[in-house]
Amino acid sequence: MVSSAYITLKDVVFSRSGRRIFDGVTLNIPKGKITAIMGPSGTGKTTLLRLIGGQLRPDSGLVSVAGHDVPKLKRRDLYRLREKMGMLFQSGALFTDLSVYENVAFPLRVHTALPEDMIRDIVLMKLEAVGLRGARQLMPSELSGGMTRRVALARSIALDPELIMYDEPFAGQDPIAMGVLVKLIRDLNSSMGLTSVLVSHDVPESLSICHFACIIADGKVIGEGTPEELRAHPSERVQQFLNGEPDGPVPFHYPSGDTASDFGFPGGAS
Amino acid sequence: MMDRIAAFGRVGIETIASFGRASQFLAGVVGGVPKPSVGFPLLIRQLYAVGVLSLAIVVVSGLFIGMVLGLQGYTILSDFGSEAAIGQMIALTLVRELAPVVTALLFAGRAGSALTAEIGLMKATEQLSSMEMMGVDPLRRVIAPRLWAGFLAMPVLAMIFSVVGVIGGMLVGVEWLGVFEGSYWGNMQASVDFVDDVVNGIIKSVVFGFVCAWIAVYQGYDCVPTSAGISSATTKTVVYSSLAVLGLDFVLTAVMFGNF
Repeated sequence: MVSSAYITLKDVVFSRSGRRIFDGVTLNIPKGKITAIMGPSGTGKTTLLRLIGGQLRPDSGLVSVAGHDVPKLKRRDLYRLREKMGMLFQSGALFTDLSVYENVAFPLRVHTALPEDMIRDIVLMKLEAVGLRGARQLMPSELSGGMTRRVALARSIALDPELIMYDEPFAGQDPIAMGVLVKLIRDLNSSMGLTSVLVSHDVPESLSICHFACIIADGKVIGEGTPEELRAHPSERVQQFLNGEPDGPVPFHYPSGDTASDFGFPGGAS
Repeated sequence: MMDRIAAFGRVGIETIASFGRASQFLAGVVGGVPKPSVGFPLLIRQLYAVGVLSLAIVVVSGLFIGMVLGLQGYTILSDFGSEAAIGQMIALTLVRELAPVVTALLFAGRAGSALTAEIGLMKATEQLSSMEMMGVDPLRRVIAPRLWAGFLAMPVLAMIFSVVGVIGGMLVGVEWLGVFEGSYWGNMQASVDFVDDVVNGIIKSVVFGFVCAWIAVYQGYDCVPTSAGISSATTKTVVYSSLAVLGLDFVLTAVMFGNF
């Protein structure tokens, strides 16, 4: 893809519960760009983020972030590296016993020794960036799904990370909330110079903001490149996914036996 | 036949593996002591949640158990004309056995189940994962304060249980049934030994506190992150804690009071 990779995955093999999720995935994620990782449900897109974040270890292969071999890092070094990462979880994962303000202040309180008035300024700036400065006193239970993700986004950029990972940010959002999130991801990337990894199966939204994209299926990368390159990709499988065609290389029908015999028609195999 | 042997073996392996994971988890929690400036406020908050909020049930239970002991003790001892020994009987029963054991069972039911459900829900809603991704170790930040709070709160709760139970016994024995007050307190003072009885009772409650808190936080941390998984983990906390407390009580009693 490009030479200045911030994240490198090379021949990554990962299995869980006897099922092979990744079978030799190789991927370079460039610095300072938005990279979309797409693919059908259940292909391990979230698992890929957890491998990058060191929450899971691959069976074999290299997972490197900012030059660090993540699976080989000691616990302390791994936690230090994570201070440079932000992650937006699909559920938002806000701390339910803390207010919006305290949620955003949490990483600042834990990782810095800033005075309270400075923490307040930073929290308000981050909330302003996601348009929720006025909601700082609310509890997570009082927020809508879209607001929850925006607060989680403000929290994940509180420490000005180098890398931010978005796990299905558009899933279950109404068009307005989706538009807001698309704008926020684009604006944050350009204004903060972040490296952004966007995991999604919402093709139009993802391709509209990403610089690079890759599609994962059956444990492998089946297509990658710029959005334009991907749209012109010769693989039928890639085209089926991008265009949302119900039948193709990924069949509409789950593998089944002889139709005639299932329905008890004459001539069917007994 | 072979299937049964295989199933038996599988259960054995799974049990040992689970115990291994729990021990590894405990080592991680105990080894990762947070800075005092960070850890102390978290510990105080958890002491309030598991200790102070358990006070009501402990005090009420202690009072009624003391009163029942007073009634039963008086009925039995008066047959032998020894009702004056009721204070001694109530104090020794409470301090040696009932206070540590009943407090631990109440703790498992109230605070232990709450700890498991809270941690399990944090896991199910990805709060623990998000903490990890923020570079904050949930074992230090979430688990350790809860484990230490349980460990510290239990002996105090057990002592309060004993004190309230003794007062309950006095209300029934002295105030209601007319046992001479001097005998009640005098016999108690003469027969209860600080080291043999009080300290051994505290040691029991320290052990029970540690085991109950360990089981509660581990079950929450290790649960399947679904509503059914959290429900199952909460049940396991109460059942395992109760069985562990009763089993350990026998072992500790045999060691402390067996006179072999």
